[in-house]
Amino acid sequence: MADDRYLMGLFLEENGAVDAVGALGESSFRIEKVFSPVPSHRLAEALKIKKSWVGLFTLLGGVFGFFAGFLLAIFTASRWDLIVSGKPVVSLIPFLIVGFEFTILFAVFGNIMGFLFLTDLPRSDWRRHYDERLSGRYYGVLATCPADREQELAALLERQGADVRRMDRDDPPERAAARPEQAHP
Amino acid sequence: MPLTFAKIDQTVLDTLRPAPKSYWLVVLLVFAGLLAGAACWAYQILTGLGVAGMNNPVHWGTYLINFVFWVGIAHSGTLISAILHLFRAGWRNPIARAAETMTVFAVCTAGLFPFIHLGRVWMVYYMLPFPNQRTLWPNFQSPLVFDVVAISTYLIVSSLFWYTGMLPDLAIIRDRAEGMRKKIFTVLSLGWTGEHEQWRHYVRIYLFFAALATPLVISVHSVVSWDFALGVVPGWHTTIFAPYFVAGAIHSGLAMVLTLMIPLRKIFHYEEIITVRVLEQVAKTIIFTGLIVAYAYGTEFFIAWYSHNTVEIEVFLWRAAGHYSVGFWIMVTCNTVAPLLFFFKKIRTSIKWLFVISIVVNIGMWFERFVIIVTSVGRDFLPHAWGVYAPTLVEFGIMIGSFCLFFFLYLLFVKHLPSVSMTEMKETLEKGGSHGG
Repeated sequence: MADDRYLMGLFLEENGAVDAVGALGESSFRIEKVFSPVPSHRLAEALKIKKSWVGLFTLLGGVFGFFAGFLLAIFTASRWDLIVSGKPVVSLIPFLIVGFEFTILFAVFGNIMGFLFLTDLPRSDWRRHYDERLSGRYYGVLATCPADREQELAALLERQGADVRRMDRDDPPERAAARPEQAHP
Repeated sequence: MPLTFAKIDQTVLDTLRPAPKSYWLVVLLVFAGLLAGAACWAYQILTGLGVAGMNNPVHWGTYLINFVFWVGIAHSGTLISAILHLFRAGWRNPIARAAETMTVFAVCTAGLFPFIHLGRVWMVYYMLPFPNQRTLWPNFQSPLVFDVVAISTYLIVSSLFWYTGMLPDLAIIRDRAEGMRKKIFTVLSLGWTGEHEQWRHYVRIYLFFAALATPLVISVHSVVSWDFALGVVPGWHTTIFAPYFVAGAIHSGLAMVLTLMIPLRKIFHYEEIITVRVLEQVAKTIIFTGLIVAYAYGTEFFIAWYSHNTVEIEVFLWRAAGHYSVGFWIMVTCNTVAPLLFFFKKIRTSIKWLFVISIVVNIGMWFERFVIIVTSVGRDFLPHAWGVYAPTLVEFGIMIGSFCLFFFLYLLFVKHLPSVSMTEMKETLEKGGSHGG
């Protein structure tokens, strides 16, 4: 909604952020994003986040790689029907090594591609609704509400121990905060 | 003052401050060594491979010795970052980044040696599978081609693993940098913000990376060992080579981790992050790998004796008592006896001893590769073709250049990118309780 307000609750402790997520879940406010300086299982549980399915990309990459490596070796060997070292032209065991290395290589490519695709990285609009303190030591809960309920949302976050900051839609980071350590000693 | 999130950030970010003149002086010195190595290589290209000491019967000399040495060094990085990650060994976290970086640069250095050994380096494209007017293709039955595939895969995978692991840290630097540095780190961090959707997938891909890198690291040095073991050469043609090489690689890599970590810890005031306990754990692992290596040395001799193969027996007796016996005993003492000193707590918790023994093991592991490669081909089946080998100045120059290349890249890294993973250190802290801001 165009007149929605974005409020960020910043927490020094994981507990505060987890409690805030719980409280917001029980309210009618919407959680937009949750930030943390480290991966947090407790936040993931509170948000009821399902396991990532990035592994599917990894698996597909691996399967593709196995056949690509194996077929490349077979194709190149079959260009000349020349018996080398007494081995058959299409030697399955040596080609298995090529297949194995390609499996790993393409599984990793799939892994990376899946990650970039699912997280929408790289992105240029990362500054939107972001506070630079979040990469250091703060946990952040970004929630939205209609303009007339802004105070209510701020009060809810403050009750959980948050330092609340209003995030305007196109808030540039330069204006959004002073140097992180100065603002919050 | 206990370790906190803020203190971890501050300690690591302090290492990225503009470097003093002494740093640049060391970088310059190392760069000069690198240029000297490059000049030696250029001389070899212009003159021919004959400037190296390799000749009948020893066609594989220091170039291949250094290749195996650097590939070995590269292994413990992945061991620490991937295998220990799967085992949830918390002590890996402070040293994982530095070890991963070591892996990437060591593979880059190792990767140069097949090119150098090739002589006519411009012919390297013969190894690539692409349609060409010669209608020739690489022979994928050859262990040398396995090697090209394995090392290239290892370089790409370890580089991606290293970079992916660094993403959250790059965002931390981005958020605290200014001017051009901020712009550079903005691009490098790809817009990472640490939101739950990113962590959700990140944790998963990191796990998959570790799970994929673990068999890869074992396969790569196995493939390197098959460069030798698949040849019908006494001293090489044994089934023990793959596990023997993997254990040796991890042994040398762990020693190099200590060699790099100890000065890094002192210079960058990482004492609270890279604690003596962490170094002690590395030392304990070195005892373990040292014992495996000792077992492999013993097994080689036992099998030679037990097989009643006179050629095999001759090669191993020559190793221990022949022309290169000094190298052999350096290898045995440095790799198997010296690490036993780590059984004493006083020694494995002494920074000075840790550093000295790590260098001793590095020297020993270089000699191990020398002994394996040179003594086997030097004492082949035909007594009239036996011979000895000594590296020339050009080979020494290239070897020194390779060490300088490695340290040059490493020195640049430690002052420009986070040498300790801030995020993983915070995770360790978070698991241990409150981080206190």
